[in-house]
Formats: sequence, structure tokens, C-alpha cells
Amino acid sequence: MLQAEVEETIKRIQSQKGVQGIIIVNAEGIPIKSTLDNSSTVQYAGNVHQLLMKARGMVRDIDPQNDLTFLRVRSKKNEIMIAPDKDYFLIVIQNPTE
Amino acid sequence: MQPALEHQEEKDSQKEEEEAPPHELTEEEKQQILHSEEFVTFFDHSSRIVERALSEQVDVFFDYSGRDLQDKEGRHLSRLVTYPELLVASYSSNEDAPHEPDGVALVWNMKYKKTTPEYVFHCQSAVMSAAFAQFHPNLVVGGTYSGQIVLWDNRSNKRTPVQRTPLSASAHTHPVYCVNVVGTQNAHNLISISTDGKMCSWSLDMLPHLELVFKQSKSVAVTSMSFPLGDVNNFVVGSEDGSVYTACRHGSKAGISEMFEGHHGPITGLDCHTAAGPVDFSHLFVTSSFDWTVKLWSTKNNKPLYSFEDNSDYVYDVMWSPTHPALFACVDGVGHLDLWNLNNETEVPTASVTVEGNPALNRVRWAHSGREVAVGDSEGQVHIYDVGEQISVPRQDEWTRLRTLSKIQLNEVLQLWALKHIYSFSCSKSQCRGRTSGRLFACVDGVGHLDLWNLNNETEVQKSPRNII
Repeated sequence: MLQAEVEETIKRIQSQKGVQGIIIVNAEGIPIKSTLDNSSTVQYAGNVHQLLMKARGMVRDIDPQNDLTFLRVRSKKNEIMIAPDKDYFLIVIQNPTE
Repeated sequence: MQPALEHQEEKDSQKEEEEAPPHELTEEEKQQILHSEEFVTFFDHSSRIVERALSEQVDVFFDYSGRDLQDKEGRHLSRLVTYPELLVASYSSNEDAPHEPDGVALVWNMKYKKTTPEYVFHCQSAVMSAAFAQFHPNLVVGGTYSGQIVLWDNRSNKRTPVQRTPLSASAHTHPVYCVNVVGTQNAHNLISISTDGKMCSWSLDMLPHLELVFKQSKSVAVTSMSFPLGDVNNFVVGSEDGSVYTACRHGSKAGISEMFEGHHGPITGLDCHTAAGPVDFSHLFVTSSFDWTVKLWSTKNNKPLYSFEDNSDYVYDVMWSPTHPALFACVDGVGHLDLWNLNNETEVPTASVTVEGNPALNRVRWAHSGREVAVGDSEGQVHIYDVGEQISVPRQDEWTRLRTLSKIQLNEVLQLWALKHIYSFSCSKSQCRGRTSGRLFACVDGVGHLDLWNLNNETEVQKSPRNII
């Protein structure tokens, strides 16, 4: 992927049916890019970061050879998808029934 | 040694955090990150996964009972939805499980390939007919062998019916093979007909009570029933004696109106035309019978318009496609599922498939989309078939083509009959009179002429040179 395509991809994902927001966060939980307003971004980033640490810890605790690859949190109103990496993680919030 | 090191590291990182701007990066720093190679690698990988996940159509969390739509006070929000992926099938008793109740109805979900049903419903007496109650997406209606009509609700946590009609002479005392909800959202009734010819009309308004509104009897052993599209008063029934009857629910002539003869064996299935389009075919219906044939009728004629004779066993059920006006499906006792397209060919099915093991196929149902067909067999299995687009999707001209076919139907019957007896037919009028049931007859000669004669005025009606064979 080229750098120019990153912006295009973000726009494309954001325009898909039901997508409410995209947030890119670094390993410390600090948002790098977001399509949501500042306060929501900070809220999501902080909460997801904590959850991610917990989830990753759990996977490694059960099996040290294993690692977390993807997290989906389904709630009554929407779904939060988290794609983690060692340096960053991508959060996409969507309403799947829309 | 280790704990001390960790402690030191913690202190260091805490310092770092304090030094850096709290939970924020500068725009420059952000841009730097976004332009870094490692970020692009990460994003390439994760966006790929996320896009695939976003494109998933299925929602495994869906609750068909609607409990998730209850608002805070616990009231059920009304939903006027039907779930085209749900299929209800009733089964005869399981020989391998004698302790299970006689009456079983299962609700399957065609969206997923799971091997267990969405809902399992039981009752004491064998369920001969089952259907989703139109306008009440949570209810399943069953007509049983004992004559009771039962109602199941997928909101209750029970497998047993939430409502049963009384077992008395005021209702049904014979098996009920036909149940159907007809009408509109505001005015609808559940119609049930038992094999002694009694028709009862029930009100679903006073749920959970099923109120008997109307009943009438005619000693006709009814095996199948269908309401023409848009009609709530007139309907058609097929019986064990091989005849079709038209009837109506209300009015001075309520009850059986006319009798149509044609089949030589009990009628197993009957379906009125449903695919709505630019031309109205609601007067057409098809019937299937033990006499190995499927026949096409019009409520305007008391003789069949056409007879489809490709089967070599009992034909157990027939149903029109809900979307294609010239397409219908039928199933027989040796495992054949046939799709007939009248705009394509009237002599043989357009498509045919045989179920492995050749079990008798008891029922055929089209999905609402007209793209899938469900078939129930004698082994207790339900098979779902996808019907290819080129067969199932109607083109714009299908309705007008079918109308042309219907108009010349009578002529075609004679012509084709003539073709079968091509060498035994002679043009002598006295001989022909005995063979035809109509005023028209056709004859063919060895140079490709097909002539239509009108016996009444003994003049040539039509002469058309064409290649016949």
C-alpha cells in the first residue's frame, strides 16, 4: 500500500453503510487519526486501549505462544472492531443492522 | 534483581509520560507517524481485515422472537416483518423416537448451514399442515390430525402450543390439511379446512384466544386449498375424489360453487397463480395428483387448460414461483423435483433434479425471493435448492408471453394431440367427431400442413404451412 492510499482507504471505510467512525491509535493509546470528534475519540481510544491490554494479556496468559489478532465487541447498538498490531491499532465502529 | 529493574523502568516511563504532552501528539508528530513505513504496513494489513468484516452480511445475533426490540417498559414494539429465511416444516412421528410427541413442527433458518432448527415445536397430535401466521411474525399455526388447530409462539420458552382450538363438533373433528391466513393487516382470518369438508374461519384478533367466526360444511374430502392473489372471499380446493371445487366464504352463495373435473386420482396439491405483474393471471391455478399428472386450470373453465404428463409416479405437490409468472415446481414419489417454464416448453420440464436415494418428495415450497426451492421428503429431510438466475428471474416480457400462450391454449391442446396420433388421424369428419371433445379439430399431412377444422360449420378455419417434427 502506498501512503496516498491510506487516506483513500480511510475515506472508503468511513463511507460504507453503517460505519460510524474510524480511529487510529498508537501503542500508548494516543489517537493519531480519527473521523470522530475529539471527546469521543479520546473516550474510545482510552477505553479500547485498556480493553486491548486486558485481552492481549488474557490470550498470552492462557497460552504464552499465542497472541491477540483481532477483537470484536458487539453491543446492542453497534459493533466495535479492533485490529491490533505491536505499534498501533485500528478501531472501526459500525452499526451492523443498518 | 528483576523487581528492582521493573520498578526503575516504571519510574522512567512515568517520567516520560509526564514530560510528553498528556495524551496528545502534535499535528507534525501525527503526520510523521502516518507517513512512516511501519504505519503503512500496519494499516495495509488491518484495513484489509476490517473491510472484509464490514462486508459480512450475516448477523448471527439476530433474535427472531423480537425480545431485543422491547423498550424500557417491556412492551413489545410492533414489527410488520416477515423473515424470508425462516422455513417451517411439520413432520410425521419419528419411528426411532417413540417417546417423543406425535406432533412436531420445526423452524429452520435457510441463511445458515447449522444442523439444528431455530425453534422446535411439539404437540400431542400429528401436525398435518403448518404455516407462519401472516401479520404475526412470532406465531406458527398448525393443523393437526385430531382436528385441533394449534398456535405456537417463539416468544414463549415452551415447545408446546400457547393456544389450541377446542376438540368439539363445533370445530374440526377430522384431520386439517389446510391452514391459511388471509386478509390484510387490519382484517384477517385464519382459514382451516378438514378432510370432512368443514371450513372454519378463526379470528386472530383476540389472541391468545382463537375465536371461531364462521364454519360451513360440504362433504368434500379436501386435501388442498388456495386463495387467488388478492382474494379473501373466493378460493379453490382440491379433493380426494380428483375434483377441484371453487367456493366462497361470504355472500348468499357461500360454500361450494362449481366443480371442475379432470384428474383421475386424488388431488395432492393445488396452488393459485401468485406472481403479480402487468397481466393478471390470478384466475390460473395448477393441481397435482396421484394420477401422475399436473394440470393447469383457469377458474373461468371447468376443464383443464393443459395437462403436464412427464411424471411416472404420484405427483405430491405443486407450487407457482412467487416471482416468475410462467414458472412452477412439482415433486413426485420417486425423488424428482421438476421446474416447468410455460414460456419455454410445455412438453417437458425446463429443469429437473433427482434427490439422491429417490425418496418420495412430499412437499415443495418456493422461498419468497423466488430464487430457492425447499423440498420435504419421506425420510424427514428438507432439501433447499438454489434456482439459477436464468430460470428463476423473469424477464420483462414473461407476462405478455404467457398471456399469448393462455389464449391459444385450447388450440394447442388439440394440435399437440393431433401430433401424437399423427398417423392415425384422418380428415374424415365422421371419424374425427368421435375423437374430439370440442368443435375444433386438427389434422396433419405429410407435407407439413396443419389444418384446423370447425365441425359446426364444416369450413376450413385455418391453414398454416409449418414444420411440425
